[in-house]
Amino acid sequence: MNNTNEMSVSFTSNAQNEGFARMVVAAFITGTNPTLEEVSDVKTAVSEAVTNSIIHGYGDDDGKVIINASVTGRKIYLEIIDYGKGIEDIKKAMEPMYTTRPDEERSGMGFSFMEAFMDKIEVASKPGAGTTVKMWKEIGTAGRQYE
Amino acid sequence: MKKYEYSEGALIYYLPKELDHYAAEKIKSVSEKIFEENEVRFLIFDFDKTLFMDSSGIGLITGRYRRVHDKGGKVYIVNVKDTIDKILNMSGIYRIIEKKESKEDIIKEMVRGGYYE
Repeated sequence: MNNTNEMSVSFTSNAQNEGFARMVVAAFITGTNPTLEEVSDVKTAVSEAVTNSIIHGYGDDDGKVIINASVTGRKIYLEIIDYGKGIEDIKKAMEPMYTTRPDEERSGMGFSFMEAFMDKIEVASKPGAGTTVKMWKEIGTAGRQYE
Repeated sequence: MKKYEYSEGALIYYLPKELDHYAAEKIKSVSEKIFEENEVRFLIFDFDKTLFMDSSGIGLITGRYRRVHDKGGKVYIVNVKDTIDKILNMSGIYRIIEKKESKEDIIKEMVRGGYYE
């Protein structure tokens, strides 16, 4: 039996919606029976991706951020999509501490946190067209050890 | 609930329940004037109410740290819950900012540092 549960949500690229995005994903994955720590991990990863779309993808422009999520058993799959300005150099953007906005007190750790809190992430981006972040996590596995 | 408290060179941030980009921007804008008009010698990040934080919180802390530390001031983190502790640990922030168990511990250090006569 392959019981996959899916949901999609689309919202305006307003910073106020960062909390909404975390809540909606946290609520959706309840069926995987995650620990509080696992919920927190997923919420942080979602927050990082959505914040990137809002700050870097759209900046001062308004646009839509889309989250597609699916759950199969205890496996979670998430897509965070924007149609903003895209990333010129994905490899560089994913380097720890790299930020295009040091003056705004950005830490440059967004992608590092997504990688640390999820099992796997993939980033696809095209300058001028937007960015899609795909993330996978299986609930109930030990996961990697943190520092 | 107050977002911060300032008195004679000492600034305490009472951080919100969810410290994300949205909250961090709010905190920066309401407290900007203090940094412009005063020399902050002690800066305390109080995480007592905080249950969620992402890398925007790290950006807030390191940015404020630079402004205070560069002028010889001291920065502390206090009342950290487990989920927040994990993030702070991963970020490497404890290499530059000391975590304290209670505000009393910080006050003791401020006394030793000559803040209170």
